[in-house]
Amino acid sequence: MEEPGTPLVAMTGVRKAYGGTLACDDVDFTVRRGEVHALLGENGAGKSTLVRILSGDVTDHHGTIEIDGEPAVFGNPADARRRGIAMIPQELDLVPGLSVAANIFLGRELRTKAGTVARRRMHRETRELLARTGIALDPKRAVGELRTGEQQLVAIAKALALDARVLVMDEPTSALTGAEVERMFKVITELRDAGAGIVYISHRLEEIGRIADRATVLRNGRVAAGFAARDLTAGQVTAAMIGRPVQALFRVTNERHSKHGETGGELLRLDDFALRPRRHRPGRREPAGISLTVRAGEIVGVGGLLGSGRTELLETLFGAGTPGRWHGHLSFDGEEIHPRSPRHAVRLGLALVPEDRRIAGLALPHSVRANTALSVVDRLATAGFLARRRENDVTTKVLTDLRVKGALADPVGTLSGGNQQKVVLGRALLTEPKLLLLDEPTRGVDVGAKAEIYQLLAAAAARGIGVLLASSEPAELVGLCDRVIVLQDGRTSRELDTHDAGEAELLAAAMGEAR
Amino acid sequence: MSGKHFALPALVLILAACGTTHENSGQGASTSAAACKGAEGKYTIGVSQANVAEPYRKQMDDDIARAAKQYPQFTVNFADAQQDNAKQVADVENFLTQRIDLLIISPNEATPLTAVVKKAYDKGIPVLVLDRKVDGDAYTQWIGADNVDIGRQAGQYLAGKVLPRGGKIAEIRGLAGSTPAKERQDGFAKGIEGRGIDIVTTVDGDWLREKGQQQADAIFKSHPEIQAVYSQNDPMAEGAYLAAKAAGLDQKIKFIGIDGLPIPSGGIKAVEAGRLAATFVYPTGGREAVASAKSILIDCAKPAKTQMLPTQLVTQANAAEVYAKGNR
Amino acid sequence: MTTTEFIPTRRAAVVDTLFRFQSLFGLVLVLVAAVVFSPTHDGELLFLDSENLFNVVRAISEIGIIAIGMTFVILLGGIDLSVGAVLGLAAVGSAVLLVNDGFGVLPAVLVVLAAGLVFGLLQGVASAVFGIQAFIVTLAGLQVARGLARIWSGGQGVAIAYGDGPGEAPVAFSLLGERTFNGLVPIPAVIFVVVAVAAIAFLRTSAFARHVYAIGGNEKAARLSGVAITRVKVLVYGLSGLLAALAGIIHAGQLNQGSPNDGSGYELDAIAAVVIGGTALSGGRGSVSGTVAGALLLGVLNNILALNSVDPNVQLLIKGLVIVVAAGLQRLRPTP
Repeated sequence: MEEPGTPLVAMTGVRKAYGGTLACDDVDFTVRRGEVHALLGENGAGKSTLVRILSGDVTDHHGTIEIDGEPAVFGNPADARRRGIAMIPQELDLVPGLSVAANIFLGRELRTKAGTVARRRMHRETRELLARTGIALDPKRAVGELRTGEQQLVAIAKALALDARVLVMDEPTSALTGAEVERMFKVITELRDAGAGIVYISHRLEEIGRIADRATVLRNGRVAAGFAARDLTAGQVTAAMIGRPVQALFRVTNERHSKHGETGGELLRLDDFALRPRRHRPGRREPAGISLTVRAGEIVGVGGLLGSGRTELLETLFGAGTPGRWHGHLSFDGEEIHPRSPRHAVRLGLALVPEDRRIAGLALPHSVRANTALSVVDRLATAGFLARRRENDVTTKVLTDLRVKGALADPVGTLSGGNQQKVVLGRALLTEPKLLLLDEPTRGVDVGAKAEIYQLLAAAAARGIGVLLASSEPAELVGLCDRVIVLQDGRTSRELDTHDAGEAELLAAAMGEAR
Repeated sequence: MSGKHFALPALVLILAACGTTHENSGQGASTSAAACKGAEGKYTIGVSQANVAEPYRKQMDDDIARAAKQYPQFTVNFADAQQDNAKQVADVENFLTQRIDLLIISPNEATPLTAVVKKAYDKGIPVLVLDRKVDGDAYTQWIGADNVDIGRQAGQYLAGKVLPRGGKIAEIRGLAGSTPAKERQDGFAKGIEGRGIDIVTTVDGDWLREKGQQQADAIFKSHPEIQAVYSQNDPMAEGAYLAAKAAGLDQKIKFIGIDGLPIPSGGIKAVEAGRLAATFVYPTGGREAVASAKSILIDCAKPAKTQMLPTQLVTQANAAEVYAKGNR
Repeated sequence: MTTTEFIPTRRAAVVDTLFRFQSLFGLVLVLVAAVVFSPTHDGELLFLDSENLFNVVRAISEIGIIAIGMTFVILLGGIDLSVGAVLGLAAVGSAVLLVNDGFGVLPAVLVVLAAGLVFGLLQGVASAVFGIQAFIVTLAGLQVARGLARIWSGGQGVAIAYGDGPGEAPVAFSLLGERTFNGLVPIPAVIFVVVAVAAIAFLRTSAFARHVYAIGGNEKAARLSGVAITRVKVLVYGLSGLLAALAGIIHAGQLNQGSPNDGSGYELDAIAAVVIGGTALSGGRGSVSGTVAGALLLGVLNNILALNSVDPNVQLLIKGLVIVVAAGLQRLRPTP
């Protein structure tokens, strides 16, 4: 079903660099009328940069964008919206406290002749828009009260209200239940049949097989492959996503694999571990039945799709999760433990490198020194007072070991992503943990720093530290870890021995592809 | 490295210590002789006002400024302490630095200002204290009215003319903790003693019209039997009147205020218009202060230690006349 | 890009250094302006009269002391609106204990300081443990402290008379209103400088202060790094209450009275001093030395405006503009 005529959107030769890293490197991408075009790739492959360029969020790029054959230059997201391009980000940009109608008409509220807000008209139009997405919601309800799936549909209705012809959806189903996914697909199909073009970003291969017409795979900022979705197989896609060069990163750790055979005693053990939260926090997948073990000197991976509960598991272990009752067993170093707070967890010998270092890891304006020493300043102090020299010595040593580029007095925010991540890692190591919990430790880190971080983790393990590493990058899990626990809906669904399993197998497992 | 951060506080003291010093202190209390340079002299007068935001005190400053215009020898500088004792101490200290020739002060409160007034007085600067007193006698002249007496007169008027057969009333006080609020309360209590007047409730109106209105609103709901309201100043009385009007009680209840400022928004006009039954003029003493300053600085006279100003009852009968006199 | 060398120390960029001393430059600027615009008397610059300069320091010593406590709170990312009222409460407490209850100077001071500390700690608990916004908690604290002060004082100022008899305070307390070093240096100024030096040292060298900065810089990161968020917050509000009480004792000693309405609006002056001193209201950035400079700047500004007999209403206007300009300068500061 090759369609003639000009495409709805044609992006040509798009290129965008962040520092020394090319996020997009000469990418051509088109969206036609009445198609769902899936965009695939690992984290950092350039997907989000490409769609942010398309939606006017990133403007300083090379290459051209044409809409209906006419060149378009976007100065901001509003420009793109005026040309009919709407983005529905993974983190929905809805205001939880406002009603459905108020959200849909936010910033362009309808007015009565008297100049007041035309509430009734807005409610009526909202109901019509929602009907097109197939749900009947009260326009007066606050968005924050809605389920995630309903919020997704409100976001789509909001895009429809703007007469969007191109809809960019980033992982729209990651937080949805089965029935909600079905409804979402019905809406997407209807929109496509009505002539809209849809860019669909997802990691779930079976979804793409069902809903997409075409698929484009990005790798390291370049187009690695294009498929007609009907022909798509898991093997093809994963091969295109992983490519070969990635393997090189793991040479050191592969060597480690071949050398080591001995690990220490059991450090962490979870048996059917679950958390029943005191109060449910929307959007979180609390542990609901996780079994795993980590031995001293072992690196154990935690895989699974977005929303499978990886972060929640690490936070719960670290005493930073949702308050609630624990079920099942958790033992650490031979004792049953229940960390009440991160502070308690640190005292027990755990350390966490959190997922988003900018939000949860670093005080960006503060110095490298202050950020690195934060966890141990009270240990370094004598009678509460900190000897500057001692602090300098300790931080200098760990940062030198980690090969951080920068100076102690630099604001940590001026360092590159990789060096920032090493500062967070250095802080964790300074507490001399027995078990290191890592959440996406290489996200937003360039390839060189990535390899270094892998080496550092391997070295830490060699010193007898147990490592539990959550990651959404199959290559990372397979290349670095001894074993990988795959989570699904907050439960252990599979445990893979990376000596036998390959990346493709892991990727397939994580994506829920039946073998 | 760390040294420079401690430098700042140290610098503060050193800097201050490096300043110039002058030797004109401690001339004792033989005041007016030193200050008086006759009609040929030029004089700077510092006026330290407690809080210009109060209409009464604004009126005092205006009276001083108007009266001082008659004397080309006088330059008058005004300072406003914004109801803060500590700020008023600093204001007076600044006047001393300016080397004023005479200080007129309307203290925010007595005790806190005593020391700094004494300091000025001991430097040989004549000090005229208006309205509120300071402790001790280290000042040249106090000019003011007697709040206790005014309160008593208000009480007597209410008991004698408004409710001669006794009755139930409410009292709206000024700012809790302020001296005039206490004095006007105590005096009023004396004025109605044994006259069958029952103060059903006493509330704080903080001297403010809107607070008076708000409090009166609550009073009229809980005590609709009230026959009169004694308010310690006119603005609160006006506020209470508005509350009564809203409750439909304005014809039934009589309102008595204090201050009687001769300004359009003042109590005299309210009495003239019939909103208040009566008010008692609390004179600002501004005019009298300038007259004293003139006699000290230009005439080289030694004024009496106390100049007590009489109050005046204002009713509908004499309101227009009193108003005109106040603006002359 | 493979030279992975860590340089332990490197000089901070010129811009950073400039901004670190921004508040000091502001102070110097105002000082210069004060000298230039100083009125003269017999050819002598009145502003530079040493008694005048000490008057300036004395006049801001109370605000300065509470602003130091406020600096810690704001560094945390919080705010303490109760300090002015706590100052009033402490002033009343000092007067009542000394005059009515016959306390000695030391016991009275200790009781009042303890009361301020406890008041602050309770606000810290309400804010940190129960998660109520600091703005609300301390706004309520302001009302509570005023209420307590009115009850404690019986609703009006309690004058302090000195002597040995009943109903008289020990003469030692009147020292707070005196001057030392030849009657030149006011005692409150000395206390202010001592507190400032101690606070600067504490902020620069204690592990606790690092935790304060970290919480203000990124509370989530601080928590995940094992910082005892709740404890640090509670203690900082306690410190603020303690310093407000100290300022209240000085207030009572200087004015020989404790009045329940004392210190009204001081919290705003303290916040202004902190902000002018370069501390970010969002937390995590700033210093006590900046606050000291900010307080002095306000004091010098007040002084020179008064010496020039600028209309009191215009004075307010100028002060407002200075605060806005200082806050505006904050935005120029490079943020990574």
